[in-house]
Amino acid sequence: MTELIEHTTGTATGPTVELSMQQALNRALRTLLAEDGDTLVLGEDVGALGGVFRVTDGLQKEFGADRVFDTPLAESAIMGMSVGLAMNGWRPVPELQFDGFAYPAVDQIVNQVARMNYRTRGAVPMPITLRLPSFGGIQAPEHHGESLEALFAHTPGLKVAVPSDPGEAYRLLLQSVRCDDPVVFMEPKARYWDRRPVELSEPADPIGTSRVVRPGRHGTLIAWGAMVHRCLQVAELAAEDGVDLEVLDLRWLTPLDTDGLAASVRRTKRAVVVHEAPLTAGLGAEVATRVTDACFGDLAAPVQRVTGFDVPYPAGPLEPQYLPSVDRVLLAVQRTLEY
Amino acid sequence: MAEENVTFHLPDLGEGLVEATVLDWEAAVGDDVARNDPLVEVETTKSAVVIPSPHEGRVVELHAAPDEVVRVGAPLVTFAVAAPDRPAAGIVGTVPEEEKRPRRRVRLTPPGE
Repeated sequence: MTELIEHTTGTATGPTVELSMQQALNRALRTLLAEDGDTLVLGEDVGALGGVFRVTDGLQKEFGADRVFDTPLAESAIMGMSVGLAMNGWRPVPELQFDGFAYPAVDQIVNQVARMNYRTRGAVPMPITLRLPSFGGIQAPEHHGESLEALFAHTPGLKVAVPSDPGEAYRLLLQSVRCDDPVVFMEPKARYWDRRPVELSEPADPIGTSRVVRPGRHGTLIAWGAMVHRCLQVAELAAEDGVDLEVLDLRWLTPLDTDGLAASVRRTKRAVVVHEAPLTAGLGAEVATRVTDACFGDLAAPVQRVTGFDVPYPAGPLEPQYLPSVDRVLLAVQRTLEY
Repeated sequence: MAEENVTFHLPDLGEGLVEATVLDWEAAVGDDVARNDPLVEVETTKSAVVIPSPHEGRVVELHAAPDEVVRVGAPLVTFAVAAPDRPAAGIVGTVPEEEKRPRRRVRLTPPGE
């Protein structure tokens, strides 16, 4: 792994190093384990192996097998164990290897993790951050790619974060683990190997804020995770045609940044939401409704959605046909321009 | 391009065979071989067969001399093969290839201002 410069806490701007998203997440976990002795990392093969995506590489060696440990291959038990640890004052950071295997853990997540704070009137918080390698784009077999954000965003009591680049991954993970509420932290597998300079700085923006990745005048592309990158590609192509698109990275799906969405779309007057999950009852519908509510008088066209299809998330070879392509996003943009 | 060594182990060439005798190597240390090139002729209790090369690469080591008996599963030959340029994805999936400029068919008409 790349030699990393020591992280210094408490400064607004930190040192800059070039890191992949995997390495940035690894760096964030090291920072978190070092700063709080109650923080624990657990999951299948997170210890000696260093994680199926290498994100926990070296952590067991550095922090010991009491704080970074392998669990049985049992997702429900991993979350159940995290609930017990959290009840007893620990700050668990469990990993489920692939989002497709999260379903057995949904009972624990929905019925225990998300409810405990309500059930105990705040006496027993659940400072659990579930790291969930998510979405598609790596041509994995069936059950290794899903897009479960709507399921978790629809569960009161959970926060949902989705980083789109290494720097965001670093800061959002720091924020998620330090937060006393449970966070489902969905890491876009397709961007794990994306390398770019990362400023190892403290998170500056509050939880629940979006960010404008590229400013534009003629319309706003709204996305999270790997689709942010797809939207940036679309914005580059649109610029060749004289269409200036803004790209907004939602990054927190719960709480959803209605103010940030409204501020952008009021300026651009057009909005296209892009996500990997199927269209029907997807998070795009929620975003479209909030934008329409907040900006009804300003909109030049109805909010468009470009999504996966209403079919089970496909296995690897069919991903390119399933995932929103640049052409499908451009067509939706054209619809808003012609309206 | 970086290279890495890959060792090929004697497979079961029949149904439940436990060993084979090397008859003749058709490649020597230092030879460049293509995938499916004849590699070695071995004799089992059933027949003599030529094993084709499972890899494209350079022969680095032959683990048995002619007439030597090799157990199934024991190292037979080591190749130096080209290591992939891109990082390995790990256990599942492939590292996505970055399109520098994605292909497009749709053109946009800018809004009238």
